Amino acid sequence: MRMMSLYKDKDTIIHKIDPLNKILYILASILITMLISDFKILTLTLVFSFLLLAIGKVIKNVFPIISFSLIVLVTIVVIQGLFNPNNKIPLFNIGQFVFYKEGIIYSFLLILRVLNILCAFSLLILTTKPSDLIENLVRRGLSPKLGYVLASVLQIIPQMLSTMDTILDAQRSRGLETEGKLIKRLKAFIPLIGPAVMNSLISTRERAMALEMRGFNSNIKKTFLNEHNETSMDKLIRYLIIALIIFTIVWRLVWLK
Amino acid sequence: MSKKLWSFKFSTASLVLIPAAVGINYIGKLFAGLLKLPLWLDSIGTMLASMLAGPIIGALSGAINNIIYGLTMDPISFVYAITSIAIGITVGILMYRGLIKNIYLAILSGIIVALVAAIVSTPINIAFWGGQTGNIWGDALFASLMAKKFPMWLASFLDEFVVDLPDKVASLVISFLIYKGLPKSLINLYSSDDEIERL
Amino acid sequence: MAKIVVEGLKYRYPLSQKLALNDISFEINEGEFIGIIGANGAGKSTLCQALTGIVPLFFKGDYGGRVIIDDVEVAKSNLSEISLKIGMVFQNPFTQITGSKLTVYEEVAFGLENMGFEREEMKRRIDDALMLLDLYRHKDKNPFDLSGGQMQRLAIASIIAMQPKIIVLDEPTSQLDPQGSNEVFKAVSDLKKKGITVIMVEHKVEKLSEYADRIMLLHDGRLIDFDTPSKIFSKDDLKDYGVVEPVFTRYCKKIGLKDERGLYPVTLDEAVNLVVKKREHNS
Ligand SMILES: Nc1ncnc2c1ncn2[C@@H]1O[C@H](COP(=O)(O)OP(=O)(O)OP(=O)(O)O)[C@@H](O)[C@H]1O
Ligand SMILES: [Mg+2]
Repeated sequence: MRMMSLYKDKDTIIHKIDPLNKILYILASILITMLISDFKILTLTLVFSFLLLAIGKVIKNVFPIISFSLIVLVTIVVIQGLFNPNNKIPLFNIGQFVFYKEGIIYSFLLILRVLNILCAFSLLILTTKPSDLIENLVRRGLSPKLGYVLASVLQIIPQMLSTMDTILDAQRSRGLETEGKLIKRLKAFIPLIGPAVMNSLISTRERAMALEMRGFNSNIKKTFLNEHNETSMDKLIRYLIIALIIFTIVWRLVWLK
Repeated sequence: MSKKLWSFKFSTASLVLIPAAVGINYIGKLFAGLLKLPLWLDSIGTMLASMLAGPIIGALSGAINNIIYGLTMDPISFVYAITSIAIGITVGILMYRGLIKNIYLAILSGIIVALVAAIVSTPINIAFWGGQTGNIWGDALFASLMAKKFPMWLASFLDEFVVDLPDKVASLVISFLIYKGLPKSLINLYSSDDEIERL
Repeated sequence: MAKIVVEGLKYRYPLSQKLALNDISFEINEGEFIGIIGANGAGKSTLCQALTGIVPLFFKGDYGGRVIIDDVEVAKSNLSEISLKIGMVFQNPFTQITGSKLTVYEEVAFGLENMGFEREEMKRRIDDALMLLDLYRHKDKNPFDLSGGQMQRLAIASIIAMQPKIIVLDEPTSQLDPQGSNEVFKAVSDLKKKGITVIMVEHKVEKLSEYADRIMLLHDGRLIDFDTPSKIFSKDDLKDYGVVEPVFTRYCKKIGLKDERGLYPVTLDEAVNLVVKKREHNS
């Protein structure tokens, strides 16, 4: 692993969409799922996200991402179905446990919310190269220094991981025991993490100096090696999403009355 | 430790501390898994960054940690960036106030950090998971409290707190022990407001 | 005129008791190749950092005297401006890779982007730097996929792209295998041929004697001597400063082979020439 990323390199329209638009899509998705508790609308938005993911040819890559939250999603149904404070109407029972309608409905709503947000995020993560995303944000005004920090994390972590095995071997050969009772394993943690911390902190010193020697702190406005042109399509998409966000908020405000 | 607690003028050294901190978080998590420890130990880097360079760099390390996790593994981690930020800020302030100077105070500080983390996480847990944390032990407690008709926010808070308490105390004690072992010149590297004296 | 003038330079690191640099003065002319030698802790790295402004702009602490490059006093300038006049390469090739770029080509661009160069100018400079360091065919590789020697040359290329007149290298070969070291030495001698002033800390004194015009001997923060390689290595108290002479010099010292000025040869070529000359003289 040279660089941490879930990006899937494919040639589709979705991949070409401006990363900022994908971020706006996530915002819209969070907003809609948090403001609107309507099964039909949330199902519709979920289907739409899946459609975009399908166009981006990354649909099968979404499932591993969802699986991270799978167990919680299942237990939500159980716990809410059994214990939600609003529970009144019994729906079915397994043995002595009674599941209630209100709790089950609530849990399905939560699941729809989470799935909507996960899919919107997946669209960004699976179809955007992280370095492109970061450079795009820097062009739009994110501090170049923060941009550097974000971009470097993705490559520096794999570099740090490669020292993990070295440390593990070195400490084991000095007789460090990594198996056995809990207290023994807990004690083994410090000799393992200690050298990793030292190595990485010491290299920050030289890296900081090296960056300083390459204009990292310059006050001059930064330029970019790579060209970047926003298409009219990107602009159109952007206005559409912003309109959708405003519409959702207004509709919610009116609907509340 | 910088003298100005809330300085937004970052030295280059403290900025490159952030990727290192995120890496340390990650390595901590992997070593904890490797040793089959019942803890995450995935905030040691954030805590060290706070101790070395103050609450803002600590908060940034925490935020960027979760952003990177979100981008590369599990998008849900984005929303918990707020918890990581809170951890970074709390440790930074405790350190600045001189409250992390021996192992007992480190334990006490760990409890405070766990409290803050649980308070910040609870609304997120309620909004996303109906109050659960995804940890079996915590969620078992949550289920039993809910069965006893405890208010959801309290059950959810306790669910998070019992999980956070051992983890944050252990993490802060480990961070403190590592910090104690660092050479002075390294500790001094991240403070941004030294003056140049004429000789 | 890329001339370096150092006057009464003194420096103490923050929290430290002793002077890392103690009253150092010298001048370096444009186009010279300067070697720096001395025992561990002599102050070699600190001196390099003082020349490039890292001391006292990055490491604060107590500072006295002046370092002047091109009539600019570095302590009163800022590091990004200084980096266009004098560049610095460090020991560890890994830590000099920014980590934020995915290709060798983009990596070299990093400094130029920060300094706001136009795209065309940037490309011209990157091409030149990659050619000079013989990395052009690797331009699309990920920097972390390079060998140690290539990575160190990339670090040099990234500095050279800023087109400084002076480059300082602090033990650039100490973490490289022999092949990597040779690559770096070759690269550095190419820089010298381009007219760039080279200042290099190096423990491999045989190599240093081959390339350096003058060598600076440091000990305990003081400048002990600053002279041609043969004068420096002909000194008989080198051991006191924790420095060894090149193998040829040591051998010649043993058998008493020195020229009419009393200086010992420092390279194999010099030793051979001297033997030939003595033979002709005798016959
Ligand atoms: N960041 C620092 N903070 C405090 N003291 C330092 C720091 N860096 C170096 N020193 C001290 O300054 C003195 C000179 O160190 P310097 O690194 O310049 O020596 P050097 O000649 O480069 O040695 P080496 O051959 O080991 O690289 C030493 O006594 C060292 O301990
Ligand atoms: Mg040195």
